[in-house]
Amino acid sequence: MSVVSLSSAVQAAPDRRSALRPRWSPLQMSPTVALALAIVTLVIAWSLAPHLFTSQDPVNGVPAHKLLGPSTAHWFGTDHLGRDVYARVVYGAASSVTSALIAVVIGVAVGGLMGLLAGFLGGWVDTVLARLVDILLAIPRFLLAVIVVTALGFDTVNTAIATGVSAVAVFARVMRAEVIKTRQATFVEASFLQGGSRWYVLWRHVLPNASRSVLTLAVLQFGLSILVIASLAFLGYGDPPPASDWGLLIATGKDYLRWPWLVYAPAFVTIATVLSLNRISRWLRETD
Amino acid sequence: MRNAYLRYAGIRLVQAVVVVLLAYLFTFVVVSILPGDPVTNVLRDPQNGFTEEQIKTIIAAQGLDQPISVQLWTSLSGFLVGDFGVSMRSTRPVTTLIAEVLPSTLILASAGLAVALLLAAAIAYGTQFLPKRLGQGIVRAFPSLFLSVPGFVIGLVLIHAFGFQLGLFRVIEPDSAWATVFAAVALGIPISAQIAEVLIANLDHESGQEYAAVARSRGLGRVRLFAKHLLKPSSLPVVTVIALTVGELLGGSLITETVFGRTGIGSLVQRSAAAQDLPVLQAVVSLAAVVFVLVNLIADLFYPLLDPRLKLVGGTERRPTSANESAAPAPGSVTG
Repeated sequence: MSVVSLSSAVQAAPDRRSALRPRWSPLQMSPTVALALAIVTLVIAWSLAPHLFTSQDPVNGVPAHKLLGPSTAHWFGTDHLGRDVYARVVYGAASSVTSALIAVVIGVAVGGLMGLLAGFLGGWVDTVLARLVDILLAIPRFLLAVIVVTALGFDTVNTAIATGVSAVAVFARVMRAEVIKTRQATFVEASFLQGGSRWYVLWRHVLPNASRSVLTLAVLQFGLSILVIASLAFLGYGDPPPASDWGLLIATGKDYLRWPWLVYAPAFVTIATVLSLNRISRWLRETD
Repeated sequence: MRNAYLRYAGIRLVQAVVVVLLAYLFTFVVVSILPGDPVTNVLRDPQNGFTEEQIKTIIAAQGLDQPISVQLWTSLSGFLVGDFGVSMRSTRPVTTLIAEVLPSTLILASAGLAVALLLAAAIAYGTQFLPKRLGQGIVRAFPSLFLSVPGFVIGLVLIHAFGFQLGLFRVIEPDSAWATVFAAVALGIPISAQIAEVLIANLDHESGQEYAAVARSRGLGRVRLFAKHLLKPSSLPVVTVIALTVGELLGGSLITETVFGRTGIGSLVQRSAAAQDLPVLQAVVSLAAVVFVLVNLIADLFYPLLDPRLKLVGGTERRPTSANESAAPAPGSVTG
């Protein structure tokens, strides 16, 4: 957790946009960002009101219509019980999005607080928290998630909690780095000199300045959490069927590889969502 | 300089030992203190059909009736001499169980790393040599795409395309050569993305440096510039990234082994998690931490020797990780 000091830096510093540049406007938005925002909006809409997007039943299928290929009636085909795969993906969005949200909230809250305290207070608090972060980083993320979910018991909320725990270290690191950077700024010093209390300075100056990077990271981690939760669901640590978590849909589909849409359709939706979130995160970083 | 290096090495060594011990403590706390009691859940599960007598014997044999501090001491002292106790599921020593499956995972992980390095090098080469308008944008998008695909999906797609459609390997023979190659590809693809991101960022940075401009103005060709001047400084930080991906290789092998039906550490974890066999899980997690810390320690110790530009001040230096570590989130560690 210490500062990198290279005599002649190997790394490129991220170009910070100069203050003279005009603020972002919708017209300059690149088409890929617009597409990414549209996809994420659609997925959020699916999770809020799935019944608006499909009239099919995600749980009870029509046995006569089992394993049909994609068609206009069934966009993503039907599964081995004759359920519409598109409907299952749409209804599964709520579970995938909510659990990723839980994971990110845990990561931001716990990791952010750790990083904030470590960076702001320094001293022994920093040392203790830095060691804790080192421990969390030393255990492979996915293995950490597996062991936490095993200890908590197998269900979807617990996979979300486990994913959140495994993300704590990353948030703590970024938050700490940002806080340390802001703490040295002149305006923070000025605020202290004007008699601002520690907590006032922290709340009024340090936190808002550090939050941008954490927001960028949170969006990125949202996508990663979807992947980790899908993997945990794939391994069977989430809710059992008929839940239709995206990872679970793919896991069920893998037993029917002769009907590949059962894997490809939910996989495509997952990839599109995560890719969009990554693009948005990159865009937030660029428009900083 | 020499003294500074020894001091640095000493501090890093002590730090590594402390982190390993604390990681062990941490997993112990996670498995024994978190709400929910996996032990009795499993033992009292009617499916397992243990009698009350047998449950008592198992609990006594595992020392689970002892106070938590005694349990911790027994387990920690065992860990220090490489004894991880006895598996609850199969009543065999955990060390034996791990030793049996370790070679298979090591083969998969090293093959996966080789694939990742080759792929990352190919992507980085592509970004430097493909014409700007044609293809370069697509190649630059690869790492981002690779990081967005769940690991198990890559495995399933490979099985579907090469196993079922082309018939290169049979799913029921997961240890055959082709099956291993495709498992390694599935494992390597997400990891290649992280390596490629750093490599591309460094290549872009280096090719914008003055020395590169000087070399170009003297009429050096692009290939020679790349091979003789840009590659070395750009690939040095990759050492760091490779060390950091050790954890991903282990986590990824858990999924890849399940998808391809291989035996290995991953499938052992998978079975132990399903049966909530905590001694095995704790052993695997602490060994993973040991491996991760060890590999990173080696990378830390070698880095100042490899890169003479790195100045050691006060013995607390860290290797650089990614092109924009402090200002922006690192490329992200992906599993799954």
